[in-house]
Amino acid sequence: MRALQTAATGMMAQELNVEVISNNVANMRTTGFKRMRVQFQDLLYETHKRAGSPSSDQGTSVPAGIYVGSGVKSVSTPRIMGQGNLSPTEKSYDLAIRGEGYFRVQLPDGRTGYTRDGSFELDADGRMVTAEGYLLDPAITVPNTAKGISINAQGVVSASLPGQVQPQQLGQIQLARFVNKTGLESIGDNLFVETQGSGTAITGNPNADGFGTLQQGYLEESNVNAVTEISALIAAQRAYELNAKVVQAADQMLSATSQAFRG
Amino acid sequence: MENIAPISLSRHIALQRAMDVIANNVANSATNGFKRRSGMFNEHVAPRARADSLRPADRAISFVIDRGSTLDLSQGAADRTGNPLDVTIKGDAFFVVRTSSGERYTRNGALSLDARGELVTSDGHAVLAEQGPLAFTAADRDIAIAADGTVSTAQGVRGRLKLAAFTRPSVLENIGGNLFSAREAPRPASAEIRLESGVLEKSNVSPVVEISRMIEVSRAYTSLAQSMQRGDDLRRSAITKLAEAA
Repeated sequence: MRALQTAATGMMAQELNVEVISNNVANMRTTGFKRMRVQFQDLLYETHKRAGSPSSDQGTSVPAGIYVGSGVKSVSTPRIMGQGNLSPTEKSYDLAIRGEGYFRVQLPDGRTGYTRDGSFELDADGRMVTAEGYLLDPAITVPNTAKGISINAQGVVSASLPGQVQPQQLGQIQLARFVNKTGLESIGDNLFVETQGSGTAITGNPNADGFGTLQQGYLEESNVNAVTEISALIAAQRAYELNAKVVQAADQMLSATSQAFRG
Repeated sequence: MENIAPISLSRHIALQRAMDVIANNVANSATNGFKRRSGMFNEHVAPRARADSLRPADRAISFVIDRGSTLDLSQGAADRTGNPLDVTIKGDAFFVVRTSSGERYTRNGALSLDARGELVTSDGHAVLAEQGPLAFTAADRDIAIAADGTVSTAQGVRGRLKLAAFTRPSVLENIGGNLFSAREAPRPASAEIRLESGVLEKSNVSPVVEISRMIEVSRAYTSLAQSMQRGDDLRRSAITKLAEAA
């Protein structure tokens, strides 16, 4: 009986759905986290009788055929790249992006990572690094005598140095963006890497050519909405139960068959 | 009496198939733009044997025959996602999708961009506008889809989504992957059909309907199995009794 397998595909799909939702909820307070969702598609159909096939020699034809589907599959878990809320932190190296773009991070393995998490710190050499200690790209070095770091909306980092009246420009923060940002691959630690699906990174300065602006002293919260996630969780859980009921009913039918022929 | 087994068997097969259709509906209760199918059964009257000399004469017997499963194209529930590339069709029409085997149709409005900036379904098939596939460049920002299907960005209008309509739902065939193929060429959708962006159309499977149908099918199946059992008992006791009498 196909219904058993069909319902099993439904249960597996809802299991994945719950996993994705629970990951969203777990990352509700993760800076720069973007929520994910699962997309489902129906599986192949078996055609027992094709619609439009002749039903008599008088030229009449069958109006509706018999198509029996074989369940559901999960096709992708795209991220919803909407803007998260900005929350003030009053830390001078905390940066939030308002609008499009990702910070570029030099990964230890030589690749370039992309992140929306702007909680930067200085390392022992005065370079701006992420919470894991990965270098911001292009690197920005802050001399240890510098005071009053300011990063403007265009990404220009400046500081006042002793003995200088004018603030000294220390560097320019650049952002990257992608044609298809849902195609980015998550590698954990709030980092994304480029894939074939995302297209190549386009780099530019904040507040120009469609890039977002920077906001110093703020962090971007995750874009997970508790109400949406909980209602999605309830729906997924109920859908799982429904599929389990189908398994049960199919089992009952099978047992009725086997018991009818005890002899 | 000898007909109990074949008649019951025809009903058994039909009920199993009905169950398969229900299972597929339930499994796809979270599939965007999924349209449920429902089984349709008929009575098939067997040709009467010509044995008039016997008393009583043969009576007509009818088998169950599976006529088809009809597609229910009613609107699915709307889920507000806020994603500008999620589009719902309000009314009787389909998005046109280009696949390697020709144009296919879908109600799944969860669209996205691929690496080349083309508007695609979650499977990567291009979604067609009236002038062909829609492609965006890296400079395009703030993609918006208007109620009449016009796709525009901050840089200007990019095209209008092509919508297809069909006279009868029965010309549509499920091919999996949320896609339909059609036996007839579609006609352009009526101008009254509206799109809404930021909203996804969920599946139109109603759990209450499916579960009550499922219980019905399952009970009918069980009671049928019992009546087959009784027919079997009847035959067995007839054989024993007649053997004793002989």
